[in-house]
Amino acid sequence: MSDIQQFLLEYDRNKREASQIAQKSATRLTDGDLKLLKLIEELGEYFNSEDVAIRVKSIAYLAEVLGFVPPKVLSLQQRNLLCDFVLSRTEDGDGIGSCAKALLALEERGKWDGERAQTIMETLLANTSPLRQYKQQSERYPVLRLIDALLAKYRDALRTLHDSQPDFLSRFIAYFDGEKDPRNLMLVFSILRVPMTEWNIGADAQDLFDAVFNYFPITFRPPPDDPYGITAQDLKDRLRECISSTADFAPYAFPALLDKLDSTSMNTKRDVLQAITSSVQEYGPRTVSLYSITLWDALKFEILNVQEEDLAEEALNGLAAIAQTLSQGTSGPLNAYLRPIIKECNEHLEDAPTKQSQAAARIVSKIANVSPDVTNLLLAGILPTMFTLFQSADNMAKRRGLLEVFVQLIKANIDVYGDWRSTGSAGASAPKGALAQFRDQALEVLLHGLETSPVNNVSYRLVCADGLLQLSKVRELLSEDDIGKIIQLLHAIVIHEESFGKDEIKESAINSLVEIAHQKPQVVIDKAFPAFMAQLPDTDEGSSGHVAVLEAFAKMANEEDVFDTVILRLKNKFSAAVSQNASSGYIVALLSAILYALTKGSNKLEQDPNTSTYYQDIVLPLLKRTSSADASHPEAFNNETTLDLVGRICNIVVRSQSTEQQEAIASELYTLFRGTPQAELPPFNISAPPENHKTMIVSTHLLASFRKETRLPCEIEFLVSSLVNYTQHSDLSIPVRSASLRQLSLVINKFYSAGALKTCMDPLTEAPFELFHPEKLNPPRIRVIFACLKGILLRSSPVLAKLYPKLLDFLSHPKYGAAIAHGFSTLLQPDDLITKQNHCQISGLHKQKSFALLVPNITQAFREASAETKRNYLIALSGILRWLPFDIVIEEVPSLILLLLQSLDLKGEDFVKEAAIGTLASTLAEKPEVVQEHAGSLISRLLANSVLNKESPTPARVRAAACRCLMLIPDKLKLEVVLPYRRQVCRKLIAALDDGKREVRSAAVKCRARWLQVDEAGDDDD
Amino acid sequence: MDVDKQNANPTILSLSDLPSRRRGSNLNRRNDGSTGLFDGLIPQYSHLNDPFEQSLSSSDSDDDSVEDIDEQEVFDLISSISDPEHPLSLGSLAVVNLPDIHIQPPSSPHSSISTVLVEVTPTITHCSLATVIGLGVRVRLEQALPPRFRVDVRIKKGTHSTDEAVNKQLGDKERVAAALENGTLMGVLRKMLSTCE
Repeated sequence: MSDIQQFLLEYDRNKREASQIAQKSATRLTDGDLKLLKLIEELGEYFNSEDVAIRVKSIAYLAEVLGFVPPKVLSLQQRNLLCDFVLSRTEDGDGIGSCAKALLALEERGKWDGERAQTIMETLLANTSPLRQYKQQSERYPVLRLIDALLAKYRDALRTLHDSQPDFLSRFIAYFDGEKDPRNLMLVFSILRVPMTEWNIGADAQDLFDAVFNYFPITFRPPPDDPYGITAQDLKDRLRECISSTADFAPYAFPALLDKLDSTSMNTKRDVLQAITSSVQEYGPRTVSLYSITLWDALKFEILNVQEEDLAEEALNGLAAIAQTLSQGTSGPLNAYLRPIIKECNEHLEDAPTKQSQAAARIVSKIANVSPDVTNLLLAGILPTMFTLFQSADNMAKRRGLLEVFVQLIKANIDVYGDWRSTGSAGASAPKGALAQFRDQALEVLLHGLETSPVNNVSYRLVCADGLLQLSKVRELLSEDDIGKIIQLLHAIVIHEESFGKDEIKESAINSLVEIAHQKPQVVIDKAFPAFMAQLPDTDEGSSGHVAVLEAFAKMANEEDVFDTVILRLKNKFSAAVSQNASSGYIVALLSAILYALTKGSNKLEQDPNTSTYYQDIVLPLLKRTSSADASHPEAFNNETTLDLVGRICNIVVRSQSTEQQEAIASELYTLFRGTPQAELPPFNISAPPENHKTMIVSTHLLASFRKETRLPCEIEFLVSSLVNYTQHSDLSIPVRSASLRQLSLVINKFYSAGALKTCMDPLTEAPFELFHPEKLNPPRIRVIFACLKGILLRSSPVLAKLYPKLLDFLSHPKYGAAIAHGFSTLLQPDDLITKQNHCQISGLHKQKSFALLVPNITQAFREASAETKRNYLIALSGILRWLPFDIVIEEVPSLILLLLQSLDLKGEDFVKEAAIGTLASTLAEKPEVVQEHAGSLISRLLANSVLNKESPTPARVRAAACRCLMLIPDKLKLEVVLPYRRQVCRKLIAALDDGKREVRSAAVKCRARWLQVDEAGDDDD
Repeated sequence: MDVDKQNANPTILSLSDLPSRRRGSNLNRRNDGSTGLFDGLIPQYSHLNDPFEQSLSSSDSDDDSVEDIDEQEVFDLISSISDPEHPLSLGSLAVVNLPDIHIQPPSSPHSSISTVLVEVTPTITHCSLATVIGLGVRVRLEQALPPRFRVDVRIKKGTHSTDEAVNKQLGDKERVAAALENGTLMGVLRKMLSTCE
């Protein structure tokens, strides 16, 4: 049996089998076992068969074989022969798809000359037009691919066809008429785009346009499991590219599009607006100038009478695109386009603030920054009217509305012409005209508005402040004197104005000052700083108004160019205050301001290694004051909170210093330059005088700032054991004890090598200390255990596998089980000292590691635990979960869900409940199927926690969290699961609507509103 | 298109001019005039670092003071309702105003029923949608306030050509109930309430 016979047999039964037969033939051809002539001979009989089906299958066979033959097997002559032969088969009308496939295969195996490409195109048009006569998509598709390939590779040849035959293009267009399949349409659009963009289409423009626009708007919706992955968006994009491809379409495109803009369908309108925008961008200024006014008249309607926000946005894009395109041409058309816009916007501004004046403002601000020409024309057209309207306005609301537009115009001006420090889109060209002309008037109006309007006119004054800020930024507009006036007004507001409402004005004023400092640092230093300083006394008489001034002044440190000056002034003020015996409150405020300023400039400190001036000027004096006992030691420094501030200031400066610089301080870590031997001080001497203990707080912050290479003032083992002993001392104040415990964590985390870390706990666990001995367990030891673990776990050390089980065993400890359980939440809790900035060793995977070592063991032990100790496991679990990002937990959630639900029943453990609700809410959001089967018990428990219960009152925070979590349920679980609970939830939540706390009521209202919608969900799906 | 819009160009208030709870309440103001900028410098959660301290700290955050439902809270409930004609809130259109909301305490010591009176100001005097707006406010309050409040929604006197007729409609329980059975009307109301915060 010949290959073709086998192929015919298999073709209807098993396509893959048939393909393999064709492949076999191809291999034989390649190897020379089969001559091409023989193959054709065998085929002859079937090609001429009476039976259409056999003819179709035999050409399919040929196409498949050709597809499998490797390149270079067929000679040019053979390929030409085959080409002629296949092409002649297209007369048949059947098997056209296979013919096209065969031709494509031949083309891939050797490039054609131009003439051949032309012949193929002509033959296709002659024999197979229109293509829609072939009912099968699979027949038409290869033909379209063939034509697509012809256009891609033989552009000139086909173009010659068009140039030499007047009717070619109309036949070409008609050929694709009536195509409906989305896959084919994708090809048709891209085929037709070639003549559109490259050929001289002349009289055929309308036909060509109609050929694609007939499909507008695309309403195709892909089937649910669409294997081809063509979306409506793909089709829309290609169609839009066609419409915008040539300016020749303009006479047809704009009227047709504007006609469709009247559609009631939002989707159609959206497509129209997008098509208009891209057409305007492509058609060029000459063409667009003919339609610009017509388009404006149509588009403005969408903005002035907003139907959907995004439609208005698209229409604005269209208007801006027109202005953009016209800016590329001569000034006449641009003028003609902007004139009606300016006129109309001016009219709407007259009755500001209304919906339409807001729309006018949007139009103006959207267009204003597209080019320098547009900016100038708009400003010149709008500003005169605006200021006239402003002067005659009879109410504040109107003035505010007008100024809002003005601010937008200044911003557009900055976009185009730049500010003092950078140039705008127009490059370095100097701004001219309109804005400069109104400079003095604008400055006066804004200054006057901000200065004299009543304080309760918040929104009006905010606009004035914003206007002044923008005005001061405009490149080469205001003189330094004028900017100085603005600064003066702003600092007067910050310093002298009575506080009102949310203090939005004060906040805006100080932020404006920071921004102006970025533009003109020296003017701000000259004008504003003396005013601030004058408000800060060297010594205070118990008055307290200066804190607000200090806050504002510290904020100035946000601006790099004035940072150094801010710090310098604050430092001088601090020295003066101490020497004048100022009150503790004032000293603390000054220290806070220094710390705040340093935090804001910490980036600058890190980049600049030369921080030694800050070390000499700030850190060293502070440390000496801290440890001294004479008059240089302010009374405020006896307070632990003050020392915390001092420590933090030192930390932020020292931590960016080099190891060498740090070593100078490291040796004074505990002595703090007081000249007493280290051994007589804490933590080495527990019985030191009480004032010496407090400086441990400063030492902790210093230790935190050290690099891990910096040498400690004593052997590390000795330091650890001293700290362990020291922290157990019962007379320590809470801040000192907490600071010392953190030192323990810091030392272990930073200064042990990875190898030493594995055994670092051995001296503590062995006799005589026996840290983990259950009988010896007591609160101080529990604290030590957690402090040590904290340092270790951040490094993901393998020793955790040995240490964690001991900790887990303690959860069933009869006396301290609960305390240990609560301690679990300290393990992963973020700590502001143990951080990367403080050179701590923090492994990226430490949370995963601790989770994997702890959580599965807790769930396991929970099942076996006695009834009294079960709650300890729940507490421990939530203590871990509350600090974990949910993606770590997500895989284990199914095994945790029952524990989480039971956590909601615990009495008096509010943090536990809160953490459990948090995890349940994340589970609902990310993995709702896990919760589905527990819906009932979850809902009833959340309800119980959302309502205040007299017997075990939950705090408002938990009640509100329960409401918020409950609100997620209808969104995340299936309707049939949720529906049965609707009545119950809505009824029970009525009690929460009357909660004593506003926070809870607000959450309950939202939650209940969501649940009330539950039964409506079915019928509003459109 | 929407040629039937009753008022195509209403006046709009700026959001920062709407009354809000924080404004003017001096409860959180510090006596030294500061804004609390420096409070964050020393983290608050340091105390959590100790296993023995947290059971104490969890309870002290919740004091027993009761925050009563006041006019501002009622305003917050209804000001974010959307206008049926514009994608704007009733608050920014000045349809609902804080001074037009009144809470009357129970009339006798034996009764627990308080009354919330809301007077609505239509944007124009012949607005036929006034009833719908009134209904929207009423539905929202009935869903969001506890049952001890009786809700009374009216058109502000002199702001509407047929205010008495509309008030009659809004006050008539049976007519309100019948209106809520109407599917189209419910659709409009649902859309209005969907922007509520």
